Amino acid sequence: MSKNLVELIRRHHEQGAPTALEVLKAAMDDHGTITDDDRRVAAERSGLPEATVYGVSTFYDDLVHPRGRRHVRVCTGTACFAATGDAHVDQVREGLGLQLGERSADGETSLAETVCLGLCHSSPAVRVGDVIDAGPGVVERVLAGTERTAPEPDPVSLLPEPVLTVPGGWEGLRAALDRNDPEATLEDVKAAQVRGRGGAGFPAGMKWQFARAAKGEHKFIVANGDEGDPGSYIDKWLMERNPALLLEGMAIAGFVVGADHGFVLCRSEYPLSKPALDAAAAQAREAGLLGENILGSGFSFDVTIIEGAGSYVVGEETALLASIQGLRGTVSARPPFPAERGVHGMPTVVNNVETLCNVPFIASRGVDAYRDLSPGATPGSKLVCFNERFAKPGLYEVPFGMTMRELCEDVAGGLVDGHELKALQIGGPLGGILPASKLDTPFDFDALAAEGCMVGHGGIVGFDETTDMRELARHLLHFGASESCGKCFPCRIGLQRAHEMFAADDPVDRQRLEELLETLELGSLCAHGGGMPAPIRSLLAHWPDELGLAVA
Amino acid sequence: MTSLTINGTPIDVAPGTTILDAARALGETIPTLCFDERQDPFGACRVCMVGVEGAPGPLPACTTQVREGMVVDTRDPTARRVADAVVELVLSELPEPPASHTELAAVARQLDVTDTRWPGRVHERDHDERHPYLALRHELCISCGRCVRACDEVQGTFALTATGRGFDANIAAGMDQGFQASACVSCGACADTCPTGAITEMSLLDLAPEPLHEVTT
Amino acid sequence: MSDARFDTTVTTTCGYCGVGCRLEAHARGGKIAAISPALDGPANLGHTCVKGRFAHQFTRSRERLTAPLIKENGEFRVATWEEAIDRVASELLRIKGQHGPDAIAGLASSRATNEDCFVMSRLMRAAIGTNNLDNCSRVCHSPTSYALRKSFGLSGATGSFADIDRADAAIIIGANPTAAHPVAGARIKQAALRGMKLVTIDPRRIELAEYGVLHLAPRPGTNAAVMLGLAHVVQRDGLIDRAFIESRTEGFEAASALMEDYTPADVERISGVPAADIERAAHIYAEAGEACLIWGLGVTEHKYGSEVVQLICNLALMTGKVGRPGSALLPLRGQNNVQGSSDMGALPDTYSDYRPVSDEATARAFEERWGVPLSREKGYTIPQMFDAAVAGDLKAMYIFGEDPAQTDPNTSHVIEALESLEFLVCQDIFETETTKYADVILPAAAFLEKQGTFTNAERRVQLVMPAIDPPGGAKTDFEILTTVSKALGHDMGYSDPEDVLAEIAALTPSFAGITYERLGRTGLQWPVAADGTDSPILYRERFELPGGKGRFATLPYRPPGSEATEEFPLILVTGRRLEHYNAGTMTRRTANIELLPNEVLEIHPDDAARLWISDGDLVSVRSPYGRIEVEARVTDRIEPGNVFTAFHFPEVRTNLLIGPSADVNTSCPEYKVMAVDVRPVSEEPARTPALAAGD
Repeated sequence: MSKNLVELIRRHHEQGAPTALEVLKAAMDDHGTITDDDRRVAAERSGLPEATVYGVSTFYDDLVHPRGRRHVRVCTGTACFAATGDAHVDQVREGLGLQLGERSADGETSLAETVCLGLCHSSPAVRVGDVIDAGPGVVERVLAGTERTAPEPDPVSLLPEPVLTVPGGWEGLRAALDRNDPEATLEDVKAAQVRGRGGAGFPAGMKWQFARAAKGEHKFIVANGDEGDPGSYIDKWLMERNPALLLEGMAIAGFVVGADHGFVLCRSEYPLSKPALDAAAAQAREAGLLGENILGSGFSFDVTIIEGAGSYVVGEETALLASIQGLRGTVSARPPFPAERGVHGMPTVVNNVETLCNVPFIASRGVDAYRDLSPGATPGSKLVCFNERFAKPGLYEVPFGMTMRELCEDVAGGLVDGHELKALQIGGPLGGILPASKLDTPFDFDALAAEGCMVGHGGIVGFDETTDMRELARHLLHFGASESCGKCFPCRIGLQRAHEMFAADDPVDRQRLEELLETLELGSLCAHGGGMPAPIRSLLAHWPDELGLAVA
Repeated sequence: MTSLTINGTPIDVAPGTTILDAARALGETIPTLCFDERQDPFGACRVCMVGVEGAPGPLPACTTQVREGMVVDTRDPTARRVADAVVELVLSELPEPPASHTELAAVARQLDVTDTRWPGRVHERDHDERHPYLALRHELCISCGRCVRACDEVQGTFALTATGRGFDANIAAGMDQGFQASACVSCGACADTCPTGAITEMSLLDLAPEPLHEVTT
Repeated sequence: MSDARFDTTVTTTCGYCGVGCRLEAHARGGKIAAISPALDGPANLGHTCVKGRFAHQFTRSRERLTAPLIKENGEFRVATWEEAIDRVASELLRIKGQHGPDAIAGLASSRATNEDCFVMSRLMRAAIGTNNLDNCSRVCHSPTSYALRKSFGLSGATGSFADIDRADAAIIIGANPTAAHPVAGARIKQAALRGMKLVTIDPRRIELAEYGVLHLAPRPGTNAAVMLGLAHVVQRDGLIDRAFIESRTEGFEAASALMEDYTPADVERISGVPAADIERAAHIYAEAGEACLIWGLGVTEHKYGSEVVQLICNLALMTGKVGRPGSALLPLRGQNNVQGSSDMGALPDTYSDYRPVSDEATARAFEERWGVPLSREKGYTIPQMFDAAVAGDLKAMYIFGEDPAQTDPNTSHVIEALESLEFLVCQDIFETETTKYADVILPAAAFLEKQGTFTNAERRVQLVMPAIDPPGGAKTDFEILTTVSKALGHDMGYSDPEDVLAEIAALTPSFAGITYERLGRTGLQWPVAADGTDSPILYRERFELPGGKGRFATLPYRPPGSEATEEFPLILVTGRRLEHYNAGTMTRRTANIELLPNEVLEIHPDDAARLWISDGDLVSVRSPYGRIEVEARVTDRIEPGNVFTAFHFPEVRTNLLIGPSADVNTSCPEYKVMAVDVRPVSEEPARTPALAAGD
């Protein structure tokens, strides 16, 4: 990240300036496009140079697609693909008579693609304005103008004592403040081996330790609510239905690290997240649980909730920090790590939402209780979610170590309508694809890694026998290429080429593909380009005949 | 001081030095595209990959700091394979080969990557010649970021920005207004650092001789 | 960037401003094809600006002088070199014979090389026999030279540009580096973004003010009060470095007593700068570990400019912030070799190394080397030259690389002077406002066409090497001056500029160890000892004054030469712009003219409204000395009550407005404060509203 731009942002933030992204989003909300005047105003108010603001305005989906009075966003995520093979996208396009990214001449209607709306349990999903509809008949309703908000299932916990699915009660923060020993709390979090729930699996305690030791005038806690993985709606539920638990986890992290402020970045594809978090924060302030001198302890901590602007890669931690500050969401080389230099150049902890939600339990109940949740496996619990193909889709809190078969057949009830499970993609679009023959693999970090798969975010997308694996490859690579931030060469160009290989009608040159996958895996700057080969490798390993490979 | 070996030669450098800087101090050339010694390392091109004993894969020399006892091999076959593949991809996105005097052409020659097997999409031609001195040929931009960083870290005018995302990434002056209408002070630092000639001097546009290689697909 | 597109690449030093960027000049087919910055240039570190980088087209302009011209019946006609040199020599000898050598004066170019200026000094002193020689530092940093020699001993920056990178704080006063010294301005900006606390002091809100922590906008002409106010606070709040003052300075008691009289409230009254800002600025500077003081012509081109520089030196002496890495005093020298032309003694009162012409030992050394007796009498300064010409005492002038009819103040007086001369020789690369009055014009080489050395603002002597040949019959200044000298009967005997440098080194202690080999690619900062050791930081142990101590100056604030009146209610400040260089002789003949095609007058919205002036209107600007017309630019980057314009375009002859007020010690003109009247050109005087102070 540009040290100079971050410094300019820091100086202007101190004067109360908004970020350029905030101002641009407001302009978009107001009149459906971004003009050069809007950019000038954003530059003026945020203190960022005009050219930089222009660059920001061309990066994010929400700023690039013009909006009509009726802005229709059709989901092209993997769960929706698994449900319809993307037929619903064509139906909406044809029905509205618009291309993706186009606004009607009279300014009345516009259409854009969006990934993903988090209604994977009821795919396909379509958003009109801020109303998100999904399930049978959704296309007809949207075309008729009678869309309605789709219901969302309540989560189920398989644990004897639910951890993440009960409303946060702030006991963890109270316990930590009473104990008044940040070092000790840090040791507990480390001993609990809380691994990042966002996909990277990095030990949260290590990040906290680095940030605690780092020097800085201020320190920050950032909750990564940019759950862009198609098929995953876990953080969505946590932010929208259990926001207090997240805020509590952030406050405890702040106490340990020495931070006085936190940010939650929630995606704009989840329009209910920010209002829910803002309301919970306001309530917490009323109750003296956030703000100055919390519960008389002398510790002060408050939060700012920030909404994203439509970019998957902003879920990568350095891109996230760039976006929070109003810059383009591009990835930065590390070092420096966020724990050293993050928001405004200050030490920053970036943790996934679910990861932070694990923290209050540890603080109030202790390390052993946490370990006991998943005896003999990775400590703690995990929220997993299933897509619409399953008979009982929805959110489940499970211990680590159950087999995929138990999860898919017992918990999610197998597939609907007599369909057969062909494959699973676990953890997000960068996760490997598990064939049905391997369902006895345990759901845990090492066991899944051995099969070229991952725990990742915890979303489980099932494909039935109608799914064409070459189409799935094309779908995944289209997602990968269009979400690439564009900075590193292997991902920027390589994913484009990989997508072209599968989008064309020609046979795929396997050797060239393998070389490309190696380049992406070993050369990419972050896990986006680096992780994209994993599912493609799974497809090559288990369904080579379906991919249209060239005959050697 | 930190001690390490590069291609078998030992060297001591200050802690925090990057592998690339240590190699340059030894006179070892590691090819780069997004690196400019006047700017902070960026880590975008992934052409400077080297092998490091004990590391799970090749590492980018420009952003990796040396460690005590590190054993670096700049000719590691895997690292070279990745670097060569990247250069081949870069050549594939340009509608025509880079002029022979450019850094990109020199790197391609150095790595012996003379053609590209990728037939897909290339950048669209878009010439901006509104400024008396600076020409911007968008189709030659490989999004290395050096021009934007020169205008930020060296000149401090911030007249340039990266634009778009993914394969559509490019650069623009001001609000895509061209150099003269933007905040640009015509210092030429961008043209000086551009490795492909995307930004170049107007007076040199017709001086570029024929490229040395034809692209075969 | 050595590549097949170019025939040759020569590393040389830029001929525009005092930063002294090292450049790679690429030639093809005998013309400059492109210029790129040298990565190892110590002052520029691989960077340069629009002028050094791109503004080289002028070298091949069709307007280049390529043949000698002799004026006949009011018109110029082409002549051969023989005829021209012969005319010059015979006229100068005639005038010398009839009126004595002091009836002749020379004006050396601060853009020419050290060698050229040294040769000019020898021409005037040995071949002609007069000390009537000056260079344009007279009109820019002569106050700096005077003050630094008085306070510290040597006439040059006390440190280097590199000290900016090591400073924790800096004060910039009376300078706009991002426009006039762009590469230094960029370096300062980067330091400010990294956390160096920058305080800017200027009537205009300069670009660097956006990156600093505090901006002060004093009324033009009140700099001394501001400096005294800062000193007052430093003293009052116990921020002085007592040990340093005691061991390394003298004269503090008197200065200290005077500072008492300049409380922040007093200074606010005089300058308009809020008292709280004076307090804050003083603390920022004094509490910093290392801090630089940087100034430009906004300090020197004033009636008491030299005194303000002494007060700047006082601040450094009070806090011990001199002679250490990161704590430097950096006057931003304007021209590429204005430092060098003065170092070389192209001055009426000194030889090289600022040794007085009256000093026996120095004069003898030069007499011995040059083989002729030399005058011990001080010669004329530039203003004195023009006065003497008008009075009839000065009959001839030899001006090379200088355009006083455009750049000197009180233009009508300058023109009267030039017209009064019996004989005027001009040696230049283009016809200028000055060459109009010449009797002989000699075509000279530009910086890309000659060999020698320039000395930049950090005392760094750097090599200049030709990349192309001069066009047509134009010759290098070295060749022309030595030929003229020979024709006058004094054969200097140099074979090339390197020869001259050897003589300079032999006669000039600060240059003792300088050779081409030692200068190499990165130059040397004088003083250079005989073994080649150079001096990035001066005064580490002692000051170059008798006794080795720095001297405090006890100087009060005195008002400027011009103040707003009812008839002339606005104050004009003049300065520079990025895209053009001084008279614009070179830059107006490049595509820079497309970047900035004309001049404008900056005026504050309140003043514009009161005077019924809209942005873009043509306005008349009138002073007691002259009147010009220029396009108005309404902006809040200037304080109400002030207006600003530059002097790069002869069509907007700004210096017509400037009068004879000048620095009391050095005669540097007060370009920076001139009371003027501004009104729309189309307005009838009767309809213009009253401009009395009470409105």
